[in-house]
Amino acid sequence: MNEQSKQVLLKLVDIVKEFPDRSGHGAVRAVDDVSLDIYDGEFLTLLGPSGCGKTTTLRLIAGFEIPNLGKILLEERDITQQPPNKRDMALVFQNYALFPHMSVYDNVAYGLQSQKMPRAQVKDKVTTSLSIIGLAGLEGRRPNQLSGGQQQRVALARSLVMEPRILLFDEPLSNLDAKLRVQMRSEIHRLQRSLGITSIYVTHDQVEAMALSDRIVVMNKGKIEQIGTPEEIYRYPKTRFVADFIGRANFLPATVSSTQNGSASLTVMGKQIDTRAPFEIEVGTVVTVMLRPEALTLRVDASLPQGVIEQAMYLGTEIEYMVRLDDIVITIVDNDPRKQHMFAEGETIGIDFIPEAVHLLPD
Amino acid sequence: MQGIRNSQQAKQFRALLKDPLLLVVLLFLIFFVVVAILLPIFSIVGESFSEEGLPLFRRYVTDPVYQNIVLNTLVMGTLVGAVGTGIGFLFAFVQVKLDVPFKRFMHFVALVPVISPPFALATSAIVLFGRSGSISRGIFGVRYDIYGLNGLVFVMALSFFTITYLNLRGMMEALDPALDEAAINLGASRWRIFRTVTIPMLLPGIASSFLLLFVEAIADLGNPLVLGGNYEVLATRIYVTIIGLYNPTGAAVLSIILLIPSLLVFVVQRYWISRISVVSVTGKPAGTPQTIKNPYVKWGLFAVVMFICLLVVLLYGAILHGAFVTVPGVRWDFTLDHFDFVLNGIGSQAMRDTTVLSGIATPIAAVIGILIAYIVVRKQFLGRDLLDFGAMLGIAVPGTIIGIGYILAFNTPIMIGDVTIIPKLTGGQAIFGGALAIVLVYITRSVPAALRSGVASLSQIDPAIEEASISLGADTVRTFRKITLPLIRPALFAGLVYAFARSMTTISAIIFLTTPQTKIMTQQILNEVENGRYGNAFAYCVILVAIVLVAIGVFYALVGTKTGAERRTKGE
Ligand SMILES: Nc1ncnc2c1ncn2[C@@H]1O[C@H](COP(=O)(O)OP(=O)(O)O)[C@@H](O)[C@H]1O
Ligand SMILES: [Mg+2]
Repeated sequence: MNEQSKQVLLKLVDIVKEFPDRSGHGAVRAVDDVSLDIYDGEFLTLLGPSGCGKTTTLRLIAGFEIPNLGKILLEERDITQQPPNKRDMALVFQNYALFPHMSVYDNVAYGLQSQKMPRAQVKDKVTTSLSIIGLAGLEGRRPNQLSGGQQQRVALARSLVMEPRILLFDEPLSNLDAKLRVQMRSEIHRLQRSLGITSIYVTHDQVEAMALSDRIVVMNKGKIEQIGTPEEIYRYPKTRFVADFIGRANFLPATVSSTQNGSASLTVMGKQIDTRAPFEIEVGTVVTVMLRPEALTLRVDASLPQGVIEQAMYLGTEIEYMVRLDDIVITIVDNDPRKQHMFAEGETIGIDFIPEAVHLLPD
Repeated sequence: MQGIRNSQQAKQFRALLKDPLLLVVLLFLIFFVVVAILLPIFSIVGESFSEEGLPLFRRYVTDPVYQNIVLNTLVMGTLVGAVGTGIGFLFAFVQVKLDVPFKRFMHFVALVPVISPPFALATSAIVLFGRSGSISRGIFGVRYDIYGLNGLVFVMALSFFTITYLNLRGMMEALDPALDEAAINLGASRWRIFRTVTIPMLLPGIASSFLLLFVEAIADLGNPLVLGGNYEVLATRIYVTIIGLYNPTGAAVLSIILLIPSLLVFVVQRYWISRISVVSVTGKPAGTPQTIKNPYVKWGLFAVVMFICLLVVLLYGAILHGAFVTVPGVRWDFTLDHFDFVLNGIGSQAMRDTTVLSGIATPIAAVIGILIAYIVVRKQFLGRDLLDFGAMLGIAVPGTIIGIGYILAFNTPIMIGDVTIIPKLTGGQAIFGGALAIVLVYITRSVPAALRSGVASLSQIDPAIEEASISLGADTVRTFRKITLPLIRPALFAGLVYAFARSMTTISAIIFLTTPQTKIMTQQILNEVENGRYGNAFAYCVILVAIVLVAIGVFYALVGTKTGAERRTKGE
């Protein structure tokens, strides 16, 4: 999305949400001081481990929960206290939540009928949205006569037909098997891009998040860890948590040899490199850097630091090595297995890396 | 943190205020629970702790006559609890663990007592097994004295074991067969498994069934009146105190004594047994339940249960037969006089009144029960547990006590200043000839069953389905009407059936509330029994059961027993 279209549609301001804990005396802080701008037309994903407060954040936006503190603004209007049925949003539920006693047609028509839309118009819209989503001909079926993937499509059509200002998704693909999940993922991607509906998507699957999102919000323990494009999040994680949660990461010690406005010279595995340093570090101290497994390579070269291969796994698209270097184990991925032969477990071998891939993390 | 949570509750309250309909419904439900249930109970408490009441306490507690009555009550409750649980266990065990014929027949026999008038079995037992019983005297030639503890335990256990049967059967079916298989795998014998796995798993259910029967037995008035003889229990003494001696204070004090064990059991049930129940935790059972193969055990149990079934059939058969003969047990000439008496004669008013009043109470009770269930399961607000508790008191408190509570609470109009809030409901000159009080009692006694089946049914429905409706722009009312209600159809049906059957067959609560203008069938039956006119009593019973069966058919046609989901699918 380009810069001009960056108009804030929805704004969360200092949101806190607590639930009474099991004892009934204390409180669990599910969402802890979250502020967030959602732009018109974007696909934003809330990503984080189970229990980090993603669903709660989504339900606050949908209006099913009311925050203890903070405000929610839709186009600068305060909607914090507005009931969910009055909000121009539609939520796609994790377990679909189809109305089991209604046909596919009635499920999709339900929301339009609630708006007292004329019958003919309802019919038009339902038919169109069912055919967009590939369910034409199944109007008369009951939800329990549909496959999981079809049920998911009905749930999607039911929300899409409302043409809401914002579409909300709570882990909509988590109940599907792996193949179907990938298929539905690209379907959602295609639909959202072609319709341009602002979407907020919750998932704990980082691949799903990367594939779908314009921006990703990484959450941990109710707080936002980082907001950014998939690339930013992957290449420049702000915290060790983000680095670890998104993809695989090696954490290596490095010594600071010099710093100057915004960048630093570091010694990593005996090699001198320059990297961005967006925060204060002191010369002479040991810091932590992150290196993705694919940024490391194995080469027979006595001048490089020598590691011992502890484990080697052939995965088809890549070979994954666990290599011991002194007292740390480094994960290294060779993602072009045809280029060179596979090293054997127990072999001692040189470790090299791409200097530009080194990313400095705060402690 | 504290501040945040208080503001949270304030916000929930404000959210409630913003939904005016929900607020009105909630206030109505609270009003109902307070006026129809709590007020009568508190009137009894107030009366018995008044200046006249307190000395009576001391007198009753020290008087050997009363001590004996209390002892009688507890002994009877314990025996009925034990025998009834035993029968229920056997019936359940045969259904779940044995592969024998006639299982549907046994199931049906176990359900019959639900729709029969409370002391029909007692009357029938007198005719068959009493001093001049057709079987005891007619066949065996003994003048057996059925009046007293033996007869009571016999009849009550057979009348009340249905609940035990359904309870234990549900639990046995939920028992994970994998447990049995694991035990067999470890080399345990059948008997050992039964002792060390089955029984311990069912223990909470057995305890709970025993307690339910205990309370039902000590609360019962009809059977002890008909069959008690010289064996006096608290319920009959309360009855005599108010009808014979017209001493409401004394009755209130005795009610409190009866109330204590009843409430104790209710609280234990609610807060303890439900918690230690292990069965529900295991979730979806896997594997097939093992049936018992040992022929001695199998056919032995079958014979016992079959014998009990035949006994029940015999007892009900005697009712049906007795309704058509001149003097049941004595002169067996065919006659329709008894039916004429009920349908066209003096009895017809009772038949009409009871049916009309039950018919009025039934939908109201079902709706109130379902609404309370909905609010308790789905809405968050302070005191929703109290609402549930209050409504459940309607059945947890013995009917006799509810009846006396109504007399005490509503014998005079309740006024605030010059404005009548609630008119005089009971006694002479009561509004609608006391009919309103009777309807209220019917509702009070029926709401708990509708509430429980509503709660059970609603807990099965994923709240996300209702949220989906809201998210699509429907308001609370549309969501309830279009989504929730169709999905809890079976609970509504069960609530209606139970409410109607309960209203038609109840006696202990309304026996104090009938007036010359309003006649109730169960009380008329009691009258006929006490005057030895068993034929009329049996005709009443037959017609009462027929009315209940017709009503069930009507509810089925109107509501159906399937959820919308199943119904429509089948229609395709
Ligand atoms: N209705 C609720 N009552 C009590 N605690 C809740 C409720 N909803 C969520 N929580 C708690 O809030 C935290 C965040 O939950 P959730 O938002 O569902 O996480 P996620 O969707 O990221 O897995 C968890 O600790 C969860 O137990
Ligand atoms: Mg979640």
